[in-house]
Formats: sequence, structure tokens, C-alpha cells
Amino acid sequence: MWKFVAVFAVFSMANGLEHIDDSLINKNVQRTIDLNSQLVKIGGTITIENTGEGSVASYLLAIEDPDSFSSITVQDSQKNPLKIEQFRARFQGPERIAFKVHLRPSLEPGKTTTIIFESFFTNSLKFCPKCVTQKEKQLVKYEGNYYFYSPYVTKTQKTDVLVNSRVVEKYSKLKPVSQTDSTITYGPYTDIEQFARDSLSVHYENNGPFLSVSRLQRTIEVSHWGNIAIEENIDLKHTGALLKGSFSRYDYQRDTVANHHSIRSYVTVLPALAHSIYYRDMNGNISTSNVRTHKDYIEVELKPRFPLFGGWRSSYTLGYSVPSSRYLFRKPSGEFLLKVRLIDHVFDDMAVEDLETDIVLPVGVTDIKVKAPYEVKRLDDKVAYKYLDTIGRTVIRLSKQNLVEQHIQDVEISYNWNTHMLLHEPILLFLALFSLFIAVIIYVRLDFSIAKPEHSKKE
Amino acid sequence: MADVAKLIRYTSPVSPAVFPHLTLVLLGIGIFFTAWFFVYEVTSTKQTRSLTKEFATAVVASAFSGFGIVFLLLTVGIYV
Repeated sequence: MWKFVAVFAVFSMANGLEHIDDSLINKNVQRTIDLNSQLVKIGGTITIENTGEGSVASYLLAIEDPDSFSSITVQDSQKNPLKIEQFRARFQGPERIAFKVHLRPSLEPGKTTTIIFESFFTNSLKFCPKCVTQKEKQLVKYEGNYYFYSPYVTKTQKTDVLVNSRVVEKYSKLKPVSQTDSTITYGPYTDIEQFARDSLSVHYENNGPFLSVSRLQRTIEVSHWGNIAIEENIDLKHTGALLKGSFSRYDYQRDTVANHHSIRSYVTVLPALAHSIYYRDMNGNISTSNVRTHKDYIEVELKPRFPLFGGWRSSYTLGYSVPSSRYLFRKPSGEFLLKVRLIDHVFDDMAVEDLETDIVLPVGVTDIKVKAPYEVKRLDDKVAYKYLDTIGRTVIRLSKQNLVEQHIQDVEISYNWNTHMLLHEPILLFLALFSLFIAVIIYVRLDFSIAKPEHSKKE
Repeated sequence: MADVAKLIRYTSPVSPAVFPHLTLVLLGIGIFFTAWFFVYEVTSTKQTRSLTKEFATAVVASAFSGFGIVFLLLTVGIYV
């Protein structure tokens, strides 16, 4: 018996099994599943009760669907963000992602506390039917769980499913359930076991936009002459139900109301100080864009060259410049600090599959330190040659997969740089021109003639 | 996260507003001296030519043109 226990203990340690504190229970869980956009947003309020003897400092949040999981934020009841720590765990069945929430202050015996979480999932809506014609509506099926997936016992719970349309084809029913307007309410359910699962499904109309960025390459170029140039190379894909049959431009122009799921245009938000904005692709400038300036941001309405239907792709480049004072700082120690967004807004409720951010630092930087707001993969540094470059500039490359709007956060890069390096380019040009003049001075002193000039003889 | 309040915002040592004026003045002087240099080279003979004068003109011309070209690039938006 003891041998078995020992083996089991070793086994569970090898699996990275986090200790689940049985004294904690979910007293009440209020969940909201928002299915209004292409993303699935699951948020909720959890009231945690400590029924044990000792105080508890951490709470575990398990993620049911690790493949489509993108981001999570956890706050306490006063909306202050709580520190979370990600780890991979094998509670039951396949390996899953879980988060350890550090409760502040720790939960005393007999007390309750409330936390608020919000999580985002991409690509978890299925299209049913898989192909639609130009005029048909797009129907989507969501499959989830009636119960809050938790390593703790749940006393009572209730789930609201928000759908944007009143056209709900079908939804699974587990009593008590009610539907009002655009909300389906499941529960309250009482005394639910740990890791309880029961499949919930909602089949409803969702006309998107189902647009995903399959690749986003963002280049940030720092110049100490007072400018930061940002360029984004974007590959887009309409991830909605595939288009059945051919596309009729005539029908599309004539009947604008019936084009439900196509994407005609979308809005990108740029920082307020952005200037010299350009929008182009491999053919050249795309003239169908509009820039609207607001008080604290700039809105760019981008219209692709053609409307996008399910399965269609498009790619373009969007670039702009921002004065360096916006993102570049100098520490009292003389070190420079670049605080710039790792990813910026592309469109509302965006889903980015693959991001690579390249940060081109000025010539001659040393002691580079990178501080990312969340876990990112740092690729090998590159050397880029720009205008009037002999030495080359260091390029920091960061990469991450599966991002949403919650990932729009600042990355901090600090480096040392000698201000005299600003004279690098003018001196380079000076030397080049000067050597040209020297060549002329030497040339006029050379005599290439075969015969001696006539007039010199007379002299 | 570093405290932003203690940090100094970095601005260019030369204000971007004066880039076009600097370009005009520096490149003007640069081109003038370049012209002077070439005129001197073709008009002077072996006897009248002075190496110091040639060097002096070449240094002034290339210094002004060098800085002038940099500010020209900055004016048009190529931030080197």
C-alpha cells in the first residue's frame, strides 16, 4: 500500500500536478458566455469560500479548451488585477492549461472572497452549414459546457449565453433554462462535482465579421533624429463559412442588405500622433481608405480591393510615423527606454494567429534588455542595413501565436547608446564626398597626353 | 514596469521643424563651395594651383554638403 502511494506521489510530481486544496469551494459562480463576435468571451464572477482550517493563498483556474485559448485576466472584487501564473497540468484526461491565482490577501478559514475573470478563445465556433451562398445567412454552432470547469466543488452556478441575433436555430436544454430576447440563461445548477462536464450547444446566426490575421509582421524602426516608423505587413483571411457557388458583383452592388457575412471594410485605430500614414499592397497604393482624426486616436477605415467572403484572403501593408517623444524615454542614468506596443489594434475583436514584431534599434546600441508584458518567444537577433548604414542595426525579434485585443500591451526595451553616434551618417557622407574631391585633385595633376603640348616647347 | 514620471521624453537634438531650412542653408553653402572648387580646378594652371586652397575648399564643400544631404533625407522622411 505505502509503496503504491509513493509511486503515485512520484508520478503525480512528474506530471506537474498542482496540489488542489479541497477546503476551497466555489460558493457561487455567475458565468457569461458572449458569442456576439468571432471570439468566444467567457467571463464570470466566482465567490470562493474557505471551508478548511488554514488560510489559503492561491486559487486554481482550469482551462477546458487549451487549443483555442488565447488570454485571461483575473481581478478582485474591487477590479484590481490579480497576479496569475500559468502552468500545464494533468488534472483528468489530457494535459490542460491552468492558472494559479494569487489571492490578496489570503483567504482565512470560514471567509469568502470574490474574483472576476475574463477569458478569450479563438476559432472555437463551428460553421453549420459549412458553405453558404452569397445571399444566405451564416449559421454558427457553439459547443461548450453547462458547468463551470473547476478543480473545486461548486455550490450554485448560473450561465448566461449572449447571442447577437434573435435567430437562434436550436439550443440544448438542461433544466432550468430560459430564453429572453438575445440571452439564454442556464441554471441555477446546484452541487456540481469537480471537473464536471456536460455538453452545451447553441446553434445561431452570427454574421461576423469572421476575420483573422493569419500573419502579422510588425516592424518598429527607431531613429534618434526624432522619429519612430512603424510598419505592419498583414495577411488576412475570412475564416467564416466558405462561399458556395460563384461571386456575383451585380448582386453584391444591387442588394447591399443581403450581403450578411462579407467584409467590405473595417477600422484600424492608430495612435493620435501618427502621421505619414500609408496603405498599400504589392500593386501599389490602395486608394479606398479614409483617415478620421479624433481627440486621442486616429481612425483609419480600410477597404480591401475586393469584398472578402469565407475562405478568401487579402494582404496589405499599413505604415505610419510617430514622433519619438511618444515612445522613447531617457532614464536619469542615461539609458534609453523604448516603450512601444508589441501588437496594435487591427480591427475590433481581432484574432491574430501569428505575430512577429521586429524592433530595429539605432546603430551602435549596447546592453539591450527586453521586458515583455506576457510570455513571448524571442527569436535570434538579426542585423538590418538601412540607408547610409555601414555597421548595421540590431533587430530584436519577438514572436507569439494566438493573440487578441487583450494582448495590446507595451514591451519595454532599454539600451545604452552614445549620442555621438548621431554624427555617424553626416561624417560618412563627408568622407565619401571628400574622397571624391581628393580624386579630382589627383586627377588634375596627372598628365595622360602622349606628346608634349606644343606651347610648352615654345616656352 | 518602469515609472514613467521619472523618465525624460526623448526628442531630437534638432527640432524637426527646422529640417527644411537647415537643408536649404547647408546644401546651398555646400553646392557653392563645390562649384568654386571645380571652377578653380579647371581655370588654374600648373603654376597657379595651390594645394592648400584646393584642400580648404574641398573640406568646406564636403562638410556642408554632407550635413545638407542628411537633413535633406530627414526632411523628405527618410529617418537615417
